[in-house]
Amino acid sequence: MKSRVLTLIVTVLCLSLAFAFMVNRASAHKVSHDAATLQAFTDAFMEQVIRGDNLFHGATEPGLNMSNTGMACAMCHPFSSDVHPHEFPKFQEQMSEFATLRDMINWCIEKPNEGEKIDPDGEAMKALEAYIYWSNRGSALDPGRH
Amino acid sequence: MHEKLSRDSVKKGGVDLTRRTFLHKSLLSGGAIATGSAVGVFQTLTSMEVAVAQGETFSFAWVSDTHLYPRELNTRFIDKAVRAFKEVQEMGSNFDFMIFGGDLAQLGDPVEIKLGAELLEEVKIKKVFIPGEHDWYLDLGESWNSYFGETPWTFDHKGVRIIGLDTVGRAPDYWSARGMTPEERMGHMSALDGSQAGPWSGVGNEQRQWLSSTLSDWPKDAPVIIFSHTPLYEVYAPWNFWIRDWREVHEIILQFSNVTNIHGHVHQPLYNEIGGMRSIGQLATSWPWPYAPEGTPELTRPMLRVDPGDHFDGVGWGNLTMSDSMDYQYMMWREQVFGTTRADSGTGDNQNQKLSPRIADRGWTGD
Repeated sequence: MKSRVLTLIVTVLCLSLAFAFMVNRASAHKVSHDAATLQAFTDAFMEQVIRGDNLFHGATEPGLNMSNTGMACAMCHPFSSDVHPHEFPKFQEQMSEFATLRDMINWCIEKPNEGEKIDPDGEAMKALEAYIYWSNRGSALDPGRH
Repeated sequence: MHEKLSRDSVKKGGVDLTRRTFLHKSLLSGGAIATGSAVGVFQTLTSMEVAVAQGETFSFAWVSDTHLYPRELNTRFIDKAVRAFKEVQEMGSNFDFMIFGGDLAQLGDPVEIKLGAELLEEVKIKKVFIPGEHDWYLDLGESWNSYFGETPWTFDHKGVRIIGLDTVGRAPDYWSARGMTPEERMGHMSALDGSQAGPWSGVGNEQRQWLSSTLSDWPKDAPVIIFSHTPLYEVYAPWNFWIRDWREVHEIILQFSNVTNIHGHVHQPLYNEIGGMRSIGQLATSWPWPYAPEGTPELTRPMLRVDPGDHFDGVGWGNLTMSDSMDYQYMMWREQVFGTTRADSGTGDNQNQKLSPRIADRGWTGD
């Protein structure tokens, strides 16, 4: 009896996992996207763009201390100009090393803003990156250019 | 290769000034030739000044865009303002007066304006003032006017009619309908790339009438200097590098053949000539701004790219001499002011760059 119950449980679990796997596979790209799904993707992106825009213009979030001078990124980079995200990675003269955009964002936080570096893989960094790329969209890729 | 680019070999601007020269031969007059030379931190302008038919040659200093925060928050901008004021005072015997061109404060806080007034006491020569938008939109000019008096104003000096305009205090009301607090009003104004304050820079009808009246008795070929915080022509409207009523203002001032507009706000060298008006953009003491995505006049000689790791780079003040033309020297705290190659130029640096206005301050509707 025990073994029959155990077999049943294992079978149900396996079927459930298989079903979940099939559903996730399907939602991750095996069917055409409808307009609502595409809009949801855009919304998810723009939510981060707006969050990044606010951080770039001096907003704060719990756990972040991006400036101790009152200065914000946008004070030197209106419209995120002169950030040149399309030129990274490159040798960054101020850092004297080969750098990514995230490296440069943290350098600006730490040096000109005199703030504390943020997690290079954290949510705030992704949001800043989203805003900077969004506001420079249409710029031609030119990695490595000084 | 990487070793070649290591920190020790990276060329830096630094603040150890040794020599800096700039001459600008005005296309308007085609007359004066000026050379500037400098030794040490404090420079002396050695101009070969041309005799003038209508008045005496004289020099003056321009300082603007100090953007002071309260001392407890940030002393960086205080240090640079103090340095500029000390240098002006050191050269004070060269100058007939100093013009402070606006944006003394960062957020219009009376504490910031009071601090600026105290720092300005370093300069003992005659001083005149015009406001910037950062001085204005917390209390709509109350603190500014109490310290520095109202604008516009005019006086005649050695054959030149000198005018100070207010191009910041006449913004269309963007705050009442939205129910903004004074702090919110100032906050939107303080972001150069903000969208809520709109086309705030302008001379306005009442002041245009005053300007027209002030110039009505002045000979059309006699020299005029107009100080304004923002440029009196359109450079780049989204950052208010303009006055919104420049067409109406030009109808008044372009009747004259020898007008010099000297302005701040742009935090960078700019030069343009329109009809009988030459326009000269001045440095900030606080921080430099990148050149706008478009609109920089072809006559502008762009500054060398700035090192953001050096707080004293790309900033400074102005040393100007009026003869039969206007000779000017950017008193920048570095050796080289202007880019000599495209790669090092503040405008040429923006290859392949396309920009969009910010979005968070106007809301995104999903369109």
